[in-house]
Amino acid sequence: MQIFRIKRPALIAAVLAIAAVGLAFPGPVAAAPAQDQALRTVVIDPGHGGLESGAKGKFGNLEKDITLAVSLKLKALIEKDMGFEVVLTRDRDVDVSIENRSAIANNRKAGLFISIHANGSVQRKAGGSETFFLSLNATDEETRRLAYLENNSSALQSRIDPSSDSDLMMILWDMAQNAYIKQSSRLAELVQAELDAMLGTRNRGIKQAPFKILTGVACPAILVEAAFISNPDEEQKLASDAFQTKVAEAIFRGLALFLKRGE
Amino acid sequence: MATNKKGGISKPALILGGLTLVLLVLVIIFFTGGGGEKVKRFVDSNVPKTAETAGAKALTKTVTLFFIADDDLLHKETREITAGPTEADEAERALTELIRGSEEGLISPLPPGTKVRQVFIARDGLATVDFSRDIADSFSYGSTSELAAVYSVVNTLVFNFKPVKKVVLLVEGAERETLGGHVDLSRAFFPDYSLVAR
Ligand SMILES: [Zn+2]
Repeated sequence: MQIFRIKRPALIAAVLAIAAVGLAFPGPVAAAPAQDQALRTVVIDPGHGGLESGAKGKFGNLEKDITLAVSLKLKALIEKDMGFEVVLTRDRDVDVSIENRSAIANNRKAGLFISIHANGSVQRKAGGSETFFLSLNATDEETRRLAYLENNSSALQSRIDPSSDSDLMMILWDMAQNAYIKQSSRLAELVQAELDAMLGTRNRGIKQAPFKILTGVACPAILVEAAFISNPDEEQKLASDAFQTKVAEAIFRGLALFLKRGE
Repeated sequence: MATNKKGGISKPALILGGLTLVLLVLVIIFFTGGGGEKVKRFVDSNVPKTAETAGAKALTKTVTLFFIADDDLLHKETREITAGPTEADEAERALTELIRGSEEGLISPLPPGTKVRQVFIARDGLATVDFSRDIADSFSYGSTSELAAVYSVVNTLVFNFKPVKKVVLLVEGAERETLGGHVDLSRAFFPDYSLVAR
């Protein structure tokens, strides 16, 4: 609390400075999308892991195993065909907290973040694929702050001091993803179109949800839900190497289109 | 004239006294009347619209619960619960019914065996619901089932209880990151009726 009080003027100063920069040079700041500045690293996040196995299928397949398999395939595809470094938030069956996953992305200066999951519903007939990006359950106060900062994402990012106190960090990282909502939505749309074209599963479209993994990531970020492990037919597909490859390829294609149109 | 004058002197005092008395009465009526109105409103909100009855029965309230149907959306189902004394008590009962399950063949999005430990409704419209650990440990959630679990609770509370505007979920009295690795529980939720069938 004490630390927070000391840092508060610094936060206000930073916000004012960002606003001043935005007002003084509206052109250049607005014209430079953060993602084009240096997309060098893509972070892939295989959902769940370790003791936390995610959704379970009737035949005993676990979400955590499928997400890892798809993620490894996607990593290989990107490394083979694109010049990017690919970082996985886990490459084995281990527990990684959600906070650590977004910390990995932010520390490695991720330019794009893709979290991979297989879906689960209590309704066994539920099926299909969908792609999410973040919706913040913003309070009025937060909405005001976010609106204020929305068009200053790159300035915001460069002003986050990794050594600063954790309360302040949390506030800023909390808002970080909001600056990338438009890009995240476009990436989600392109990936979802490819999933629909390649998987033969029902198209559940793109959606927004308040997913923890997406809140703290400071770059365009999506969460892919490829088919339902709770649906016996789709579970068997998800367990097959061929289907896992298709999921990875679909995401890879959507990503390629996103990068192509971004330039 | 003199008497008149004398009367005139005492008249203002009389008027003043009368005015004070009237004012006093008005003040008393104002306060007791206000109190009476408060009580009446409180009772009104607890009287179900359908209740036509009938001496012996306790007052009931009709609540709308949100269950999952074949189309994977939340569907409304009404249920009678015991009314009062507070809205927090009624909220607790409504959530217990939500966990107990549908009477029309729908599926509850919450794990059976989950207990509602406490519901607290603050003046600012924030309802805090504390569930037993079963809500997190008894299901292996996917994104869809986790969203359904969270929003069946949030929607049920905001839909039925006027003072509730947003909802925070606790597990065993403590804040928790997520129920099953997806939905962020650190923020208060506003209702999301896009998950509800039309
Ligand atoms: Zn998952």
